[in-house]
Amino acid sequence: MKAGLYSLTGCAGDLLRIVNIEDKLLEIFDKVEIMDFALASSRKVHGKVDVAFVEGSVTTQKDLEYIKKIRENSNVLVAIGDCAIWGGVQASLTGIDLKELMKSVYNTEENYYGFLGEHKAISEVVKVDYELPGCPIEAEEFIELLIDVLRGVLPEFKDYPVCVECKIREVPCLIIERGEACLGPVTVGGCKARCPYNNAPCIGCRGPIKDEANVAGELSMLLEKGWKREDVVNRLKLFAARYKDVSKLIKG
Amino acid sequence: METANEVIVEHVTRVEGHGNIKVLIEDKRVKEVKFEIYEGPRFIEKVLVGRTYYEVPDIVARICSICPDPHQVAAVEAIEKALGVSVDWQTKMLRELQLLADVISSHALHLYLLALPDYLGYPDALSMVDKYGREVKMGLELKRAGNVVKEVLTGRSIHGCTVKPGGYTRVPTPSELEKLSSTLRQSMEGAILAVELFSSFKYPDFVRDENVFMAVDPGGIYGFMGNHILVSDGGRYPVEEYKKLTNEVTVPHSTAKHSSYKGRPFMVGALARVLLNKRKLKGRAAEMLKELEPKLDAFNPLTNNLAQAIETVYAVERAVEVIDELLDKGLKQDVEVKVKPRRGVGVSAVEAPRGVLYHCYELDDEGRVAKADIITPTAQNAANIEKYIKVSAERLLSMGEERLEGPLELLVRAYDPCISCSAHLIKVIKIR
Repeated sequence: MKAGLYSLTGCAGDLLRIVNIEDKLLEIFDKVEIMDFALASSRKVHGKVDVAFVEGSVTTQKDLEYIKKIRENSNVLVAIGDCAIWGGVQASLTGIDLKELMKSVYNTEENYYGFLGEHKAISEVVKVDYELPGCPIEAEEFIELLIDVLRGVLPEFKDYPVCVECKIREVPCLIIERGEACLGPVTVGGCKARCPYNNAPCIGCRGPIKDEANVAGELSMLLEKGWKREDVVNRLKLFAARYKDVSKLIKG
Repeated sequence: METANEVIVEHVTRVEGHGNIKVLIEDKRVKEVKFEIYEGPRFIEKVLVGRTYYEVPDIVARICSICPDPHQVAAVEAIEKALGVSVDWQTKMLRELQLLADVISSHALHLYLLALPDYLGYPDALSMVDKYGREVKMGLELKRAGNVVKEVLTGRSIHGCTVKPGGYTRVPTPSELEKLSSTLRQSMEGAILAVELFSSFKYPDFVRDENVFMAVDPGGIYGFMGNHILVSDGGRYPVEEYKKLTNEVTVPHSTAKHSSYKGRPFMVGALARVLLNKRKLKGRAAEMLKELEPKLDAFNPLTNNLAQAIETVYAVERAVEVIDELLDKGLKQDVEVKVKPRRGVGVSAVEAPRGVLYHCYELDDEGRVAKADIITPTAQNAANIEKYIKVSAERLLSMGEERLEGPLELLVRAYDPCISCSAHLIKVIKIR
């Protein structure tokens, strides 16, 4: 199987998570022919790939052209990580004027960098065949996906929240017990409740459960616990500003 | 007759981030040099505005997947200064351990997977397995050791979740720490092998030129945190003066701003740290340095790789020592300091694997971020990289060298730039 691993705008964390599977890395790359993986290799083989794994948001004109080329060149396109699926933390700026953004960080109103004006998810610009959530992705889920792809199938999407995994690991509920602004109820499970297990509230890095996450319910529950609307909306939009129900909340 | 000749040679790879090197040559002279960073702008400092201090470490981690840890530690240290909070010895030691772990995994990644293929003549580390299987496996083992420490300490090897202003949400158990200690001890062989490898290579001297260094003053022993910055001209400044030290300007060809000190580009990173703090190294790293010091050339950034290797040996030994001290004293759970929001400003500097990293926050009455300013090592190094590209290109041309791309790529990679994501292009434009 021929594979390409590509990066758009982001921190490179999803591809690095793959490189960080130290104990299985050699085995993985024994089964897959890597055509393009600029983060780790200078070798680039031209030709169509069976599967493209793409991380990062579509942020610049270059990203846009690149992802279109990748789409044309691949049979299966998998978006990996929150940037690729929801636009990443940078997408929480959706709605803010380009000039204001440039001014705030680069002290100029010029669009020096071919910025598209917003940070888009890959599925907003090309067809995506599968999405593997996480910030970063989970090694185990990546390996499962790869095994399926090698067999010519794609796994089912997970449609249960992080809360289910808290129950399995017997983690006391951070919302009920401590009144924390935990986003577990609206966030796709699969991380084994990493953060609540470590006494930290879920920040929603795996993104919302598509078409099912009840963000309005999450908001009203946390308002009842005494949280300010502004702070809850800020948290909800960090990894999911482009999810329709969250963008409704942002607009008020 | 003038002809413009544009040569696109190859993708500059095995560097984290999107960047180009452009060299414009006219009549065998270097007319212009640009280290272009075309990484999409993410405006992370703007993402932070309006958010509570508590959320900051989770967000700044996302700046970089190779060094989320120094970003988190820098953030919590700056926020604690702004809020007037001080943490106890245990939390400080755990933060040092977190930084050491990141140095180990980051340097191992750079030395074994990104830089070594250059010196052994391969496109990547995986292709080296047949002939250099032992090296690749030991490099991966070393990298894994750093990542395992991060996983236990922060909940994840990339973008950990336990790091908060006031302390860690979860403190490792003694048995977890004992396990980490044994993993680290086993990885020592890989660190030593890196020194053997990178001290055996010949570093070409076409890059040599005078240099200015900066590093955090760690105090008594070699380390990665402190309240002052050391400069190779003898200067020592409080971190609060970071703006004067970095003098950032926005340049159109790069989403990383460019820095200068007294009008000159400067270098941060392992070479700067080892040369400015060499008497503070201890143990095996100190012994190795004694023998290898002549090879660490302040005027040759390529020797940064060797400095990284020596520093990795130190980091592994020191991490084991930190764990021993923590176990000796006995670990306390629930030491997270309760933090009260208030208005304030705080600046911190920590050493990320690639050099000095500054975080500055202005918080409002409710502890929300009013303003954030983050200066990364690669942004500081960008102007220095351009300077050395120019010097090197001129020398190579005068030596009659036709193909500049390989050597220039080697040079850029030696800085271990962390631009954020792959795919790069070296473009040499020749005008005859």
